[in-house]
Amino acid sequence: MIVFKNIHLKFQDKVLFEQFNLEITEGSKVLLKAPSGKGKSSLIKMLLGFITPDKGEVYLDHKKLNKQTLPYFRKNIGYVSQDVDLRNEKMETLLEQISGFNSNKHLDFSKEKIASLFTFFELHKAHLTKTPKELSGGERQRMGLVICALLDRKVWLLDEVTSGLDEAAKEKVVNYIMEQNKTILISSHDKIWTENKEISIKEW
Amino acid sequence: MVDSISYLSIMTLILWLIPIIFINRYFKLSINKKIVYSIIRMLIQLTLVGLFLQGVFDLNHVFINIGYLVMMIAVASFSTIRTCQIDLKKYSLPILLSFILPNLILVIFFNAFVIGLDTLWDARFLIPIGGMLLGNSLSGNIIGINQFYKTIKENEKQYFYLLSLSGNRLEALRPYIKEALLASVSPTIASIETIGLVALPGMMTGQILGGSLPLTAIKYQIAIMITIFIARYIGTLLVIIFTASKSFNDYDVLDM
Repeated sequence: MIVFKNIHLKFQDKVLFEQFNLEITEGSKVLLKAPSGKGKSSLIKMLLGFITPDKGEVYLDHKKLNKQTLPYFRKNIGYVSQDVDLRNEKMETLLEQISGFNSNKHLDFSKEKIASLFTFFELHKAHLTKTPKELSGGERQRMGLVICALLDRKVWLLDEVTSGLDEAAKEKVVNYIMEQNKTILISSHDKIWTENKEISIKEW
Repeated sequence: MVDSISYLSIMTLILWLIPIIFINRYFKLSINKKIVYSIIRMLIQLTLVGLFLQGVFDLNHVFINIGYLVMMIAVASFSTIRTCQIDLKKYSLPILLSFILPNLILVIFFNAFVIGLDTLWDARFLIPIGGMLLGNSLSGNIIGINQFYKTIKENEKQYFYLLSLSGNRLEALRPYIKEALLASVSPTIASIETIGLVALPGMMTGQILGGSLPLTAIKYQIAIMITIFIARYIGTLLVIIFTASKSFNDYDVLDM
């Protein structure tokens, strides 16, 4: 479903990837495991076109990433960035904006849906009137997951989504993610992921 | 018509500079050279402009007048490119267009429908009004460009995340366009609001000195302020749209 083929990527004279290959089948959950600075985030960004490899190709559903297929990639990938970087506005305004984007208009962003996800991720209604900056790191990460769940895309890219959570919350998030009928790529330093038996690990 | 003043009477103003030069020395404020240099430069510059404009006004020929306007537009465009430190080759055309379109159309509209001139390219109107619009577009475009690209650069992660949420470049850029527009037109709105209370605006002062009635002068001033606002607003929007068409790669990543 997702294929990285012969990827080469240099970043400021530092070689991050040389002949890198990875194939991810539909519905699998893959943990990217590598020391910091070894390109885990870069790999995720490559799938969204934010970073272009020096050589090599990226595929999603047998479609090669290029200018023409880019919208297909972006519209089928839900991304939770490391810090859930949202603009400095109230969460409710931001959620409204996100639901108003053309490719999201058909989605269910109802109050009930949001409320049930909030309850599950232990967020409160009061968080809606706060700006991202006013939330803690862990709250922001859970907010990112809520947005990702609302977007309901078939591929999820999760960049360090558990780093700010306590053990109980980590476990809950991991269980939630493993339950999803989605193809999920996870970048994380948290041990809790490697302890999970169902997850496949790509280490470099 | 207002009486001309002699160069000799201007020189009497220079006398005032003498104590200032001594005071600067006392404070070891080393700007004397700069003061002398800038005044001499102004003297030469404005004398040349005066001679040139006098010639242009005497001829009052359609092509010369429009040529003069085009020259002002070219200077404004290059000045924008230089101030914003962007690539000359890549951005000349988009910037030139975003100056020409609103300013040319508006100056013609102003002359035709607001003042109701018979000769639209009359130097006496085309050049000073065109100049006022351009001067404002210049600062508006510079603020707009700087704000737009700076905000995206400084908030790259935010922009990327927004792109992933939307999947559409225009939607992801909308908040940055909004901020740039706001930054560009806010000073104009503020000056419209307070105009006349603090200082009489230049054009109005000029007209009053030239013998116009204050009530006539304010009508021109009101008309020009509105036109300046429109030119600045549309100019900023166009400069963002036109330059943005060349500033992002195939994957919507900023590349300028």
